[in-house]
Order: sequence, then C-alpha cells, then structure tokens
Amino acid sequence: MRVLKITAMAALLVLAASVAFAGPTYDRVMSTKVVKAGLSNQGIPFGFINDKNEWVGFDVDMAAEIAKRLGCKLEKVVVNNNTRISFVQTNPPKVDMVLSNMTHKRVRDEKIDFSITYFFDGQKFLARKGTVKDVADLANMKIGSMQGTTSIVNAKAYLQELGNPNPQVTGYDGEVAMFEALNSGRVQAISTDSTLLLGYAAKVPGKYELVGDFISDEPYGIGLPQDDSAWRDAINFTLQDIWKDGTYKKIYDKWFGPDSDYPFPLTSKIEMWP
Amino acid sequence: MLKRYFEKPPVQNATLVALTALVVYYFAFVFEFKYDFDWAVFSHEGQYGHMGLLMLKGLNTTLTITLYSSIIALGMGTIFGLARLSKFKPVYWFSTCYVELFRNTPLLIQLFFWNFALPYAFPEDIRFKLFDMHFEFWCATVGCGIFTGAFMAEIIRAGIQSIPKGLLEASYSSGLTFPQTLRKVILPLAFREIIPPLGSEFLNNMKNTSLAMTIGVTELCWSMTEVYSLTYRTFESFSVATLVYLGMSLAIAGILYIVNERLKIMSPDRLTPLRRVADILFWPFDFLGRKLEYVFWYFRKSPDQRTISPLRQSLRTVGKQTVRALKALFVAALAYVLYEVGTAVFHFNWEIILANLKTLLIWRFPNGDETEFFLGLGGLAGSLLMAAISIAGSFLIGLVLGMGRTAKNRVFRIPSLLYIEIIRGIPLILVILWFYQAILPVVFKVDLDAFWAATIALTFFFGAYIAETVRGGIENIPPGQVEAAKASGLTYFQTMRKIILPQALKQMLPALVGMFIADFKDTSLAYIIGVMELTRAAYAVNNRIMVHPFEIYTTVAVLYFVFSYFMSLYAKRLERRLSPETVRIEM
Repeated sequence: MRVLKITAMAALLVLAASVAFAGPTYDRVMSTKVVKAGLSNQGIPFGFINDKNEWVGFDVDMAAEIAKRLGCKLEKVVVNNNTRISFVQTNPPKVDMVLSNMTHKRVRDEKIDFSITYFFDGQKFLARKGTVKDVADLANMKIGSMQGTTSIVNAKAYLQELGNPNPQVTGYDGEVAMFEALNSGRVQAISTDSTLLLGYAAKVPGKYELVGDFISDEPYGIGLPQDDSAWRDAINFTLQDIWKDGTYKKIYDKWFGPDSDYPFPLTSKIEMWP
Repeated sequence: MLKRYFEKPPVQNATLVALTALVVYYFAFVFEFKYDFDWAVFSHEGQYGHMGLLMLKGLNTTLTITLYSSIIALGMGTIFGLARLSKFKPVYWFSTCYVELFRNTPLLIQLFFWNFALPYAFPEDIRFKLFDMHFEFWCATVGCGIFTGAFMAEIIRAGIQSIPKGLLEASYSSGLTFPQTLRKVILPLAFREIIPPLGSEFLNNMKNTSLAMTIGVTELCWSMTEVYSLTYRTFESFSVATLVYLGMSLAIAGILYIVNERLKIMSPDRLTPLRRVADILFWPFDFLGRKLEYVFWYFRKSPDQRTISPLRQSLRTVGKQTVRALKALFVAALAYVLYEVGTAVFHFNWEIILANLKTLLIWRFPNGDETEFFLGLGGLAGSLLMAAISIAGSFLIGLVLGMGRTAKNRVFRIPSLLYIEIIRGIPLILVILWFYQAILPVVFKVDLDAFWAATIALTFFFGAYIAETVRGGIENIPPGQVEAAKASGLTYFQTMRKIILPQALKQMLPALVGMFIADFKDTSLAYIIGVMELTRAAYAVNNRIMVHPFEIYTTVAVLYFVFSYFMSLYAKRLERRLSPETVRIEM
C-alpha cells in the first residue's frame, strides 16, 4: 500500500511540474513587476564588469532604462554568444529580453522576435597599427573571431572574396580570448562588430587600429520571445520614448561620445512610428 | 507473496520492459516537448555551411588529440612513476612535485595557464614561431597529456609498490639479478595491477580533451557548440555529440576488457571464447616478447663470474661516472629551474594580486546586486559551496545507485548500471550543458540560476562515480557476514543499514574525500555556463586587467592547489589509519 501511495505522490509531483506556467510575457512582467534581461558580462563596452566589480555597459544602461519606464525591477541574467538566443527561445523563456550586442538577422528572427534596431554597427577588422597597408593584406593573415557568432562566418566569406580559398579563421571562446589572441600575436587581426573592437583596442591605447571598410551591417535588436506582440510593442514604444526625450543620446554619449573611451559617432536614427 | 514473484527473472524482465514502455509512452505521447526536432541539419548544407561535416571535422580533431595526449601521458606517467621510486632524492622530490602539482589543480586552469600565460615567458620571436605551429592544438594536446600523466605516474608507482617484498627477497635469493627480477617478477605482476586503472585514465583523458574547446581548438565539443549557436538546434547537436562520446567510451572500455581478459590467469584447458579472441589479437606482442626473451637469454651474464676483465672494469667506472655526472647535471638543471621560478615570482606584480585577491576569494559578496545568487557570491567561496552541496547530493545518489548496482534483482541492477555507465561515458562539460540548456528548462520546465544548474549537473555526474566507490566498498565485505545476517533473520535493508554500509563507508572514506577534491576541481567547468566560480572570476578579472595573465592564473592555480592538496593529505592520513602496513620498494 505504501508503495502505491508513494508512486501516486510522485506521479502528482511530475504532473504539477509539467503544468506550464507560461503566459504572455507582458502580463507576467506587469503582474510580477520584475523584468529579466539577458546581458553579456564580457563585451566591452556593452556589458562588462568594471574595476569596481560593477556590471555596467551600454546594454546594461538600456535594460535599466527600459525596466524603469515599465515600472519594473530589473533582474540581470548572464548570457553569452551561445546562449543568448536559446534563453528567450525556451518555453517559458528564461529571460524576457536579451540585450547582448546581437545583430537582428532573418535566420535568428525565425526562432525569436526582435525589437526595432536600437544600435547600429558593422563588422570590421582590428590589427596592429601599420601591419595592414591594403585590405588585400588581410587575405592571407591568421584571423581570430568569436565562436557562436556570425562574425566568424562573415570573416571567412570575406577572406575568400579577397582571394584566399582556405582562410585561417579561429573561433575563440568570447571576446577576451579573441583579443588576447591578437595581443599575444597568435593571430594578426581579429574581426567582429566594430564597437566591440574599439572597446578592447582602448585597453592598449595607440597600439591597434581598425582597418578596411565595414564588411557587413550589424543592426542590433533586443531579442524577445516569439509571437508575443503585446510585449514586443511595449518594448518598441519604450525604445522610441527613450529616443524621443533625449535619454538615448545621453546613454549613447556616456559610452560612445567624443569624450568616452570608445568614441563612435552616432550616424543613424531609431525607427520612429508616428 | 508479491516479493516471491519479484524474485523470478521473467517477472523482473517483464517489469523492466513495462517500465521502458512507460517511459517511451510518456515522452512520445503525453509529454509536450514544445520543440520540433529537425535532424536534417546534419545532412543538408545550410546558410552557414554543412553542419554534419563540421561535426566530423571535430571528431577527427578529438581523436587526434586523444591519441597524441595518451601517448604523452603514458610516457610521462612511466618516467615519473619510476622516478617516484628513485633513491636519489632530487629526482624523487621533482617527480613528487610534478604529480602533486598537476593532480591538484583543475585541467581547465592548466590549459588556460599554458595558453594565456606561458607564451609571455618567451621572447617575442620564439613566441611567434610557436604560434605558427598550431599552438592551441599542441597546447591542448600536451596539456592533457601532462595532466593525465600525473595520474598515471601515481598508478604506476602504486602498481609497482603493491608487489609484496617477500617475492623480491625470494627472487634475489634464488639467484636472479635485478634486471631479471624486474622482467620476470615485478613488471608482469605490476602490469596486472596497473592495467584496469590505467585504462580508466585513458578513458578520462579522452573525455578531458573536450576542454580544448575553451582555448579555441575545433574539436567535437567546439563543433557542437558552433552547431547549436548557428542553427539553434540544441537537442540535436547535444544528442549527436553525446552519442559519439558514448561510442568512443564504449570502444575504449571494450579494448580494456579484452586486455583484462588476456591478463587473467586461466588454466590452458579451460579458456573462455573471449580469451581465445584476445590471444589471437595479442599474438604479435607475444611473439615479440618471446623473441626478445631469446635475445636477453643470449646476452645473459654467466652467474659465476669471479674475475672481471680490465675492459669491463673501465667500462663500469665510466658508467658510474656518467651516472654521477648525470645526477649533478640534473641537480644543476633543477637549481636553474628553481632560480627561474623564484625570479619570476619575485618579479610578479604583487599589487595586482593583492588588489584582486578578495575578488577572487568571494567575488562581489556582499556588494553584489540583490537579484544575483547570494548577492553575487562567487570566486573560491562559490566553488567550495558548489562542491559541498553537490558532493552531499551525489553521496545520496551514489548510495542508492551503488546498492542498486550490487542488488540481485534486475529491476534495480540494470537501470543503475545504465545510469552509471552512461554518465561515466560522457564528458562533464556535456553533462553541464545538457542540464542547463535542455533537461532542466525543456524536460522539467524549471528555470534555475546557472549556479544551481551546474550544481545539479555535478551532483548527477559524481553520483555515478560515488556509486562505483560504494559498490567497491560493498563487494569488499566478506560474503559470510551477509549470510550470517540473513540467517539471523535480518531483511535486506536491515543488513545493509546495520552491517554492510557502516563497514563499507568507513573503508570508502579516503575515496570519498578524493571525490570531493575531484568535485571541487571540476566546479571550474561551471565556467562554461557563466557561473561566477573561481575560474570565471579569474577570467573576468583578467578581462579587466588584460596585461597580467601570468599573475592571475598563477594565483588561481595556487588557490585551487592549496585546498585540493590539503584535502588529499587528509585523505592519505585516513587511508594510513585504515591500512597501516605500507611497504616501499626502492629501485
């Protein structure tokens, strides 16, 4: 008899666990007043840990501003290049939004939804000053990039276009390892989104330079759970509000303004709906 | 009544089949995956290339690293294992340092150290030459080899020392010279002792190569990560990688099984079929051995050599002097290395270490964000906490599974066996990823902090290893005790609780402490999912400072070492208290 009882209890527990508590993200966020944001902690200057051990960056500030305007508390969750998509893809999603210098791509949009573009970037190469006179020099160099990003695929394709049928592109585990590879000399150039490159180049001022043109457009979007239009609208409207009253410019200048460590002029505009 | 039925094999088989059917039914029809499988990703060329080919390339690299690092490990293990038995103290100290240092720090930290810090020890032009030669690949290969070598050295030393001293005395007194004793007595006996643990080290080495992905080597785990982050097919890529690792583990285990069969002592007229197969497979080695034996016999020394020719005499003195010179050279080299290490440590940027030590010890606690786990507790404190929780949990799992594994009833034995063998066949890195990205969120639909996900994964992983320890402990108890307990009317659980487990657990204590050390070191792998334990904290600190990787990684290695080493000393003391008679063979 006891065995039966225990089995029944176990079965009940399993059932209780499998009852999904998913609901439209907007309703859930508004009822709990907590918004969970997936952020990177090693992408200077988007999300990183500064020398006071605080988690800061452009994406962190944007997430905090969005949470503030929604009247919610922000809960920060670490994501990396490999997990940033799957965290909003699970059901229920592990995080309500992902701000992790992530390019809005069609193939990614098949799995999750994106907000309007909130940052404009493009992929470039970073090399030691003076080593690359002409872009064609890059073709036969050893290039470092990041695993789990499309940068590595783009870089390979670009080098093939430049005339190297078998380009040497290594995918390192994250930004740090990639930059270390350049700094120690195991690769001659690294390639990813230009602002990230600027962030790391600023670690050793004057030693590295961005070379060549943008090899791709990288419009960043906020990753959101698929098919959840109330929540996506809320984020889009909030983003436009942030732009409209000048807060965006303030956050932007804090990280990329002329006086910042990583100057990067703002050239585009956020899409505004009348 | 029910119990008696349950003891019959057909009933047990039926129960097993029914259980399997139930599980299959549940996952196929009742359970909502909310995930559509698409296995075609591996067979079709996608936007980012052919994923199946990518996996194959990864497998190729994994096999290459495994092969090379196994050879390196065996070489290092043999040299240092013998050196640990040396009477010449500097050699003994040096090899002891090697073994203790590499056994008590996590492989991940060692790889980081080789990869990030070591190149800075060389002048620039040498460094660039190194980088031109697949540096990451060799870093991972040699790193794995050196790491596994330290474990093999201990196994080889223990194997040689396990030979009873009486046998040696007997062989010397029957007129055998030392080389003969070595060939005829020590090595054959030691091999029989060494092969099974050595084999499991080969297996571990194969699994450990998965860590090479963290330094950018495109092996199987790397390819798997690439596949799921480019195609978002988490389940598919994890499953394929897991199956491949399981296949490789099974292959290695199979080879070991055959070797074991070959080494078993059997009477020639009652050979098992497997033994015949093994004999055929080992025929070339046997043949070589017999021929070598003939050569040795031909060159043997005649036993009654009273006078020595002058030539032989001078050769002998030259030999002695060479040995003496080599010893001096070794001491000089050792002194030089010590001096170099000393100056390197002296020139460390100690300010950087001191400024970051607190961060490495407890990360951001108590200044972390309130939404973070334990106010951001991490670093060494986080690692220790994780190790303590997971080892406590895995002890319970191990106890249940270990008992299940030794049970006569198939309904308990076969599931336990499957669990143990499957978990032990895949790398920990994969287990952690499975739990964090597939099992917990998709199957159990719970959303846990990365810390808990990693702790749960470690718990299940070490549960399988502790189960094997428990099984060993239980099987060590003399069967007479079980019979006596049964005769005095105790039930199975009473026998276990009152008689077997108390004794078995006491014997297992040193092994359990060893498991705790392994667990503590393996918390470093939680790095992969972003838990801020010691390794990740070091990574973050290094990310911030960038220019002092040597200092940071040395500090972290020392932190890991101090804790593991003192725990292992404690384990050794426990062992000595439990088995007082240890004999040291010297050579």
